[in-house]
Amino acid sequence: MSNWETIFFWITLIAYTLAAGGYIYAFVFKNPRFLPKMTWIISAGFITHNIAIGARYAAQGHLPWAGDYESAMMGGWFIIGGTLYVAWRNKALQSLAVVTAPLVVILMGYGFMRNPELTPMAASLKTYWLYIHVYFAQLAFGAYALAAAAGVLYLLKRRNAAQGAPNAAFERFPSLDRLDELIFRYIVFGFITDTIMIAAGAIWAKDLWGSYWSWDPVETWSLVSWLIYGISIHLRVTFGWREKRLAWLAIIALSTVIITFFGVNFVVDTSMHFFNVR
Amino acid sequence: MFNKIYKYLGSTRFTLLLISLLAVMFLAGLWIPQESLLNQQLSAQWEAKSPKVFAILRVLHFTTIYTSPIIIALWFLFFLNLSLVMWQRLPLIRRRIELPDPKRSDPENAPGFSFKKSYPLPAETSGSDVIGFLKKRGFAVSGDQQVFCAVRNRFAPIAFGLFHLSFFLILLGGLTSVYSKFYGVLELAQGEVFNGELERYKPLGMMPKIGSPPNVSFVIKSIRPEAKGNTPTALKVTLADGQGQLHNIDINRPYTTDSSTFVLKDVGPAPLFIVKDPTGKELDGAFVKLKVMNGSQDNFAMAGFDFHVHFYPDYAVNNGAAFSRTKEFNNPVFTVAVDRKQMPVGQGTLAPNGSLSFAGGYRLVIKEMPLWVRFSVIKEHGLPILYAGFAISSLALIWRLIFFRREIIGAVREQGGERRLLVAGKSEYYKSLAEDEFGELFDGMPEYLRQRPKADAG
Ligand code: HEM
Repeated sequence: MSNWETIFFWITLIAYTLAAGGYIYAFVFKNPRFLPKMTWIISAGFITHNIAIGARYAAQGHLPWAGDYESAMMGGWFIIGGTLYVAWRNKALQSLAVVTAPLVVILMGYGFMRNPELTPMAASLKTYWLYIHVYFAQLAFGAYALAAAAGVLYLLKRRNAAQGAPNAAFERFPSLDRLDELIFRYIVFGFITDTIMIAAGAIWAKDLWGSYWSWDPVETWSLVSWLIYGISIHLRVTFGWREKRLAWLAIIALSTVIITFFGVNFVVDTSMHFFNVR
Repeated sequence: MFNKIYKYLGSTRFTLLLISLLAVMFLAGLWIPQESLLNQQLSAQWEAKSPKVFAILRVLHFTTIYTSPIIIALWFLFFLNLSLVMWQRLPLIRRRIELPDPKRSDPENAPGFSFKKSYPLPAETSGSDVIGFLKKRGFAVSGDQQVFCAVRNRFAPIAFGLFHLSFFLILLGGLTSVYSKFYGVLELAQGEVFNGELERYKPLGMMPKIGSPPNVSFVIKSIRPEAKGNTPTALKVTLADGQGQLHNIDINRPYTTDSSTFVLKDVGPAPLFIVKDPTGKELDGAFVKLKVMNGSQDNFAMAGFDFHVHFYPDYAVNNGAAFSRTKEFNNPVFTVAVDRKQMPVGQGTLAPNGSLSFAGGYRLVIKEMPLWVRFSVIKEHGLPILYAGFAISSLALIWRLIFFRREIIGAVREQGGERRLLVAGKSEYYKSLAEDEFGELFDGMPEYLRQRPKADAG
């Protein structure tokens, strides 16, 4: 890591952590006035996040995309970017950050502990297909994370409404109906980018390994998570699943994506896929 | 009975079961070690440790799960189910893309329309201005200025069929590639000519069930690996084909000809070793393709001696131990240990153009040091079909899920002495979000109507 990158990475992480803490405070102490301020902190963090990525680009000569640290850095960028984008379009959606900010803090903290050192671009990564592959994967990850976040908000708000003394902080969330539809909307967006990600990956694999599909563990996991989201869409469109069941589905399905990105190494050790340059 | 089975085979309930079972089988393939990913030695070890489990898994073909009869049966049912469901859905899709009939539409009593609202129409504006507004926003409008229907993305329901049809293209492309697949490994050094001889593939992994092996000839002109520190950054190889035309290839940029792909996999030194006796006479000599990159040891025999070699592309010594500073070819050096009849007779370092003495005056010399590369060679047909499937599935999804169908019914009526526009709207998938969308749409209408007469006047 270059000095500038280190400095801005930490400022970013601190900003996101403060915001995550602020959200938790707002909910625990039922103080919703706090929420809009947190959006400002996250926005400031997002600016320094961009600078950190820029510093890494400058030092390395290519955009970050390989290794757990860079995946976490870019994954966090897409999740926070998505959160801010939807919040900008619709104020009520600022509250999605209640879930996404802590998720990104954990993600980036984990990434930092892994391998933040600078690496030149390995020969195996030099291809435009990889840009498409990696960034569509990140887009999908971001959208699925937003879906899960909307799912959590839905469940919280619903439980809160059933209680005798509702927490005013939940008033800031979109209505239950809208949250329910947003879960589906984000899943759908993630599913489209997920599909493009898998197709681009297969085309890249043909050039790099000679075979467009090898049932490599990472490939298999991403196919499984794609199928799970496909099943979720079917359940919604043809079986009318909504509300609580859909919310849980969005939360549980996200775990398969997290395994694909970060966990495959823990599950199996025979992958020829490398998010880590080798 | 038959009817019941037929009905179940064509149900979306069965679809869900099939997709779930496929997902479970794929996951099982991650738990159960697969022969394709496991090397022979590990496989044998595993078999020795738990022979019973291994036997059962073998019988079920679960060690090659992705081509096991169970998975193939599931795929068969998947495509059968898909065909039946699609066939049954055709009339529904046709109905969904029909334009609604404005004569029979009434925004106040339209079932299924979640958005219903009425707006005052300013003086000097009419239903046709509203229609103009909707057209500007991408709606196709039918009817007249009293009652009209407007639809956006009318044909989106077709994309559902297109998306699921693309699975058949992917299947067709996949099957074509499986049956036409040739696979072999080829190791060629700089200067070496290849004319497609099958016996030079080592191993020759797979012959095509349909079609022929690659018909190619070329010569390797140059090999240039590049690295920055410990990261290999390029492997630049130039080859000349049968017509003498040059092709530059690299990692990620394979040589492609005759539906065959020559993918670069590995590189290594292929020195011309010569053994000389104590009088200086050459006893033996050959180019040896050494598999010594990444620190591994390779061995070869020559003139009755056995040589054990390590390679350091950027040689250095630290506390008496040899190591490579980087993966760059800055200072290529071999360390060599020599045996005769399993007795050590010498050892030392050897650089290109250098020599190593052993066994009382014998010498090992490197006269030249070209490099060699390993290719995975795959010939297969059907990739364009497969890629077309990918493209169609992606485009169809975008069409279906982003540009979904919205429908509006509008009527201009006199209510309480005032002319009002009554509208009802609905969209696929969403209700509340569609209400927001239609609300925003019509909130923007007064602005449009205000500007329109001005534009006309101008
Ligand atoms: C046997 C296999 C399959 C059958 C019979 C099937 C059938 C269907 C049906 C009937 C719909 C509803 C269409 C509508 O009402 O508009 C649908 C929608 C959908 N399916 Fe499938 N499907 C199959 C496999 C898959 C797979 C493997 C995926 C991806 C993982 C998938 C993804 C989708 C998506 C994204 C939609 C929503 C698009 C839409 O509304 O048209 N399907 N499917």
